[in-house]
Amino acid sequence: MVEKFHEELKEVKKDVIKMGFLARDMLKNSVEALKNIDEKKAKWVTDNKIKIADMDDEIEKKTLRLITLYQPMAIDMRTIACILKLNTYLNRIGRYGKDIAKFVPEFKKTKHVKKLISIPHMAEIVCKMIEDSLNAFENGDISKFNDFIELEDTVDELRYSIFRECLSYMIEDPKVITRCTYYIMIGRYLERCADHACKMAEKIYYMVTGERVEIDCREDTSKACFVCVKKNE
Amino acid sequence: MQSRNIILETKKLNLWYDDNHAIIDVNLKMKANKVTALIGPSGCGKSTLIRCFNRMNDVIEGCKIKGEVNFHKKNIYDPSIDPVEIRKNIGMVFQKPNPFPKTIYENIAYGPRVQGINDKKKLDSIVEKSLKDAALWEEVHDRLNDSAMGLSGGQQQRLCIARSLAIEPQIILMDEPCSALDPIATAKIEDLINELKNKYTVIIVTHNMQQAARISDYTAYMYLGKMIEYGDTKQIFEKPKEELTEKYITGRFG
Repeated sequence: MVEKFHEELKEVKKDVIKMGFLARDMLKNSVEALKNIDEKKAKWVTDNKIKIADMDDEIEKKTLRLITLYQPMAIDMRTIACILKLNTYLNRIGRYGKDIAKFVPEFKKTKHVKKLISIPHMAEIVCKMIEDSLNAFENGDISKFNDFIELEDTVDELRYSIFRECLSYMIEDPKVITRCTYYIMIGRYLERCADHACKMAEKIYYMVTGERVEIDCREDTSKACFVCVKKNE
Repeated sequence: MQSRNIILETKKLNLWYDDNHAIIDVNLKMKANKVTALIGPSGCGKSTLIRCFNRMNDVIEGCKIKGEVNFHKKNIYDPSIDPVEIRKNIGMVFQKPNPFPKTIYENIAYGPRVQGINDKKKLDSIVEKSLKDAALWEEVHDRLNDSAMGLSGGQQQRLCIARSLAIEPQIILMDEPCSALDPIATAKIEDLINELKNKYTVIIVTHNMQQAARISDYTAYMYLGKMIEYGDTKQIFEKPKEELTEKYITGRFG
């Protein structure tokens, strides 16, 4: 019975990784579609919205079934707790991809205000964070999380620079206001995705070690990049 | 663990059945008014250990004990100690319900009678109080003079708990009290254990890990006669410190 449980848990973990890479692809492709104003690619992303939501439901169902049947303990319980959170975060990330993809047709006629640089760069970092989280979830290697604070900082800075840049364009020329507002929103979405990746990392860290931590930007940069603030139990 | 409220403590406890070293250097401090669960695979020594706590192993031939079991800081293996007195203070409930083939009333009144209480009124009140404490009164109050053997398994087990409560022990030892019961009777005993800890200290051996997680405040994990890990139940089941504990509670061995 216990062996069967571990087999089933392994299967659910595989499902989560599959879902994770779909979420990553949705986000990645949405930004690529935006960059190249590629409506076909954008449609692929929006079409996958239902698929990722179904995966979320399916994983939740399977996980709840495992809890009911086997009442898992220790690492198994932590894995299950982690999965239940991960699938929510991944679904959110996928949906942000869809939200970004929905802007693509808007640029069809007007083209971009200028060549996109910061947004694709942000997306690249966020996708890396998602990949690192998924790999850690798969093999338990949490060492990559050491970079997360720095990455998240960079993402925050990029978002702010997009905001400032857009402001100056809008002041210069009211015709770009609609498009610039979209850029600002997209920056915000990507920043949220980085937050979700950090949350995922925290849950995976808990799964592996049993410690609850927070990936947090602290004022004193003398500390290691990955500041684990232990939450009060 | 702080030394406050420690009701029972073992110090370097060792036990041999002839050449078989069944308990090895067990140090354990148990708090009053708490539920402590002993878990571990079959043959790891948890039943043997719990039987040390009220000298039930005395009668087993070839059984040799070294070390201390301190009840209120007094070693119960000291030659000056009367085991009967110990068992009055440290009651025990076994795996299979074992009521006396007597009436429900007599099962409870037996202990106090042996202690010299013969006053009918006093006995009546002890019977009522014990049955109420064991959450059995409602079910049997109108048939106290029926045979205890006619009760269901779960009721019999609660009767045995009531019987041990009748002599007002401080600690109740339970050796897998639910393993012969159905889920509903088990749930009732679990609720009862939760109630009992207001007045008594409970030490329970269980094979059911979820049960240990549900009802105990502290959990001790034993393996091959050794105490592998002892601590807060929440911690043991969420994040055990020892790899052996982790493996056992996740069913990877044992």
